[in-house]
Amino acid sequence: MRNLFKATTAFGLALSVAGPVFAAGDEIREITIFSRPQAAQPSEFQFVQLIAQEWRRLGLDVNVEIMPWEQMADIVWYNRDDWDTTGWQMVGRPERSDPDELIFNLFHTTTAPTGYNFIGYENPEYDAIVEAQRTETDIDARRDLIHRAQAILAEDQPNLMLAHPQSTFAYDNTVWDPDSVIDQGGIGIRNTWTFINLEPLGDQRDVVLNSTDNVQGINPLWISGGTDSWITELIWDRLLRIGPDGLPQPWAAESYEWLDDSTVEVVLRDGMTWHDGEPVTVEDVVFSFEAAMGDEAPMYSPFVSNIADIEIVDDSTVQFHLNAPSAAFLTASLSKLNLIPQHIWEPVLDDLATRDEENAEDYQEEIPIGSGPFRFSSWLTNEEVVLEANADHFSAPNVDRWILRIVPNTEASLGMLRSGEINFLSDYPGDPNILIEIAGEDGDLEVVSTVDMGFRYVAFNHRRPPFSDPAFRQALSMAINRDLIVGAAFRGFAVPSNSVISPALAFWHNDDVDEFETGVEVAQAILAEAGYEVIDGRLHYPEGVSETLGE
Amino acid sequence: MSGVKRFASRLLQLVFVLWAVATILFLIFRLMPGSPLAAYIDPTFTEEQQRILMARFGLDRPLFEQYLIYLWNLLHGDLGESFFYRQPVGERVLMLLPNTLVLSLFSIILAYMIGVVGGAYLAWKRGSFVEGATIPFVLTTRAMPEFWLGMVLLAVFSFSLGWFPAGGMRTAGSEYPSLLALYTSGDFWRHLFLPALTLAIYFHGLPLLLMRSNMLDVMSEDFVTMARIKGLSNWTIVVRHAARNALLPVATSLAIAIGYQMQGSVVVETVFSWPGLGRELVRAVSASDYPLAQGAFLLIAVVVILMNLLADLLYGLLDPRISHA
Repeated sequence: MRNLFKATTAFGLALSVAGPVFAAGDEIREITIFSRPQAAQPSEFQFVQLIAQEWRRLGLDVNVEIMPWEQMADIVWYNRDDWDTTGWQMVGRPERSDPDELIFNLFHTTTAPTGYNFIGYENPEYDAIVEAQRTETDIDARRDLIHRAQAILAEDQPNLMLAHPQSTFAYDNTVWDPDSVIDQGGIGIRNTWTFINLEPLGDQRDVVLNSTDNVQGINPLWISGGTDSWITELIWDRLLRIGPDGLPQPWAAESYEWLDDSTVEVVLRDGMTWHDGEPVTVEDVVFSFEAAMGDEAPMYSPFVSNIADIEIVDDSTVQFHLNAPSAAFLTASLSKLNLIPQHIWEPVLDDLATRDEENAEDYQEEIPIGSGPFRFSSWLTNEEVVLEANADHFSAPNVDRWILRIVPNTEASLGMLRSGEINFLSDYPGDPNILIEIAGEDGDLEVVSTVDMGFRYVAFNHRRPPFSDPAFRQALSMAINRDLIVGAAFRGFAVPSNSVISPALAFWHNDDVDEFETGVEVAQAILAEAGYEVIDGRLHYPEGVSETLGE
Repeated sequence: MSGVKRFASRLLQLVFVLWAVATILFLIFRLMPGSPLAAYIDPTFTEEQQRILMARFGLDRPLFEQYLIYLWNLLHGDLGESFFYRQPVGERVLMLLPNTLVLSLFSIILAYMIGVVGGAYLAWKRGSFVEGATIPFVLTTRAMPEFWLGMVLLAVFSFSLGWFPAGGMRTAGSEYPSLLALYTSGDFWRHLFLPALTLAIYFHGLPLLLMRSNMLDVMSEDFVTMARIKGLSNWTIVVRHAARNALLPVATSLAIAIGYQMQGSVVVETVFSWPGLGRELVRAVSASDYPLAQGAFLLIAVVVILMNLLADLLYGLLDPRISHA
């Protein structure tokens, strides 16, 4: 039996070598692309349809599957072998102004099993470069490495990068002086700098803004919803803050200095006080970092894991000793950790330590106490959060109060902006063209669109052939005209992308990867070059490759 | 059957219905696709951290065990802790319930005022042009989706005319010493009016049509004929005799209406940014926040069930002709 099998195989092989008719590999199975529903994610829904259409022209059988985010995330994140391609996004956050998080976590081999490299990209050369940039504290040398990493990604096309959307916000320019509004690169005008700097033109001295989502918690040790972070950034100070240019700058720290490549010395600003009147001390600073290094604030622990030891030098100076040199430490740790008062949190954390079930994320201060430019005033569940200006702060705001209204209805928030119920549109998931049209009718509204550091893309699952083949991924990517996608799916409010480092981060972005040719013919040429063949309208693997994942 | 016995059996049924609702709620949310982890746990978490969280929420245990724990906690009045807000569910839903109740009650009163008067009037004008024109109109409002109606009212009375605010329950940054002070303030009523009107328009058809058909029934009864023979004026007959009798079933339908109104609030609260239970329910379901969704649903179910019971008892009390057998 065994011999017979061998014999027929050999015979078959001989035949296939002799006869040139069936030289191609197996027909490529139906491939699936996920998208979220149109109602929830109109741009994604649109670009996935367009992309599927282009891919079909290459001879692929493409099935678009629509599912809610919860289901999609469950499959893509927790069942990493079970999907082909999916629409996806990364959102902009101030700490992502440092390229490390995106360039490392999304593609390094170590994060493939359970981390952010859910596509399963593996490239030892790339791994070495992104490891090297982590410890390179010379900023220009580091930029070269970051540029090289982007060039490798452009070559390998691990994902089909599409666009960096623009964040669009608006405000009433009869209430706020347009010169006092600050556009933070990659973030937009809704940022801490704007709220501190806003200059009232008339009697309205309260900035009233909107959020479509509810506030989950106001807690310096819990990274909760996006809206919550607007609040925590105002109530609590950090040693450094990401500036409007995307680079960290001294904040509660008067100055900082690298003593060697794994030691940072920080001098605390003089005369700061907590909102309850107590002075801010270096002990508080050490406590804030040690709180995150303990077990009670798990979401912050990745940001402090590299700290070996914190040493108090004198009553205004501390030194951070790191386990390994880290270029991103200033952005990812010193600009990230909230400074919290020891006299309030120490008893709380001690109490929580005695209970297994709970940690600091479950603890909601009745009156949150920080040292930031705004102090907490009131919080009405699902209605509003009111903060008032902290006149004693070293960077005291010009406004009197900061009032966040929860408005789940986007159209209503536009109505409110026109009627003055809100005077700063800080959350607008709708069509920017409608906003611009309304601003034109109104005359008193200023609309500002900023290129985001976040991006939209289609992820390929490298664990599943044919997506393991760089040529195949390249072809699928080159088949798509980005300008068309920007126009059709983002209504022009985005810029085409071929890098995870947004052009908004001008210092780090590699301009060389931006230009590339697209079109079905380009894609077909790449496929033909790599040995793929179209037979009867269907794309087949190169010779000798069989389909392992068909139904 | 005696009154006490009947009441006891009703109570027993009530407990059974509550158990059934609680069980269905438990299953429904767990059968939904997707893991609650995906919705609110930051994916940067390590596997170990995720495991700890799963354990904390009891999601690592077998379904049946989770169910028993859930029932046991329910018996103790413990609705669990919200995944999303890290806050006890009971605390949260009870805080939002008054906002929903005040909206529901006001809109029902509005709907019944329009409905009862309108229904009586249409019965009186039976066969007239007014009736012919009004009935289709009422039926149309019944069929309009609430979110659409709400958006139209917003566009007209808020965006265009600027008579009413576009959402919320009070002006930004206004403070009130108590819930009562808020509910009795003019600012609150200005915010309440549009959402309440939306619900009232949506809902007034039921009392109106009920009142009208009851009136027509009553008008054909002997005592009305008798009144006519006595030479009483049409007005006296309609108001003093017919309407009073026709009102009875309408009054008892009120209790049931409150229950339905709670459901209507789910949509209207989102359109008008009203901080109530309905909006919270939507958020909880979309975030796979099982405990919060269960708690909010359960509370609404309890109100509906209690109102049904009330309607039942009220009916027997108001109209002793209804047999208890």
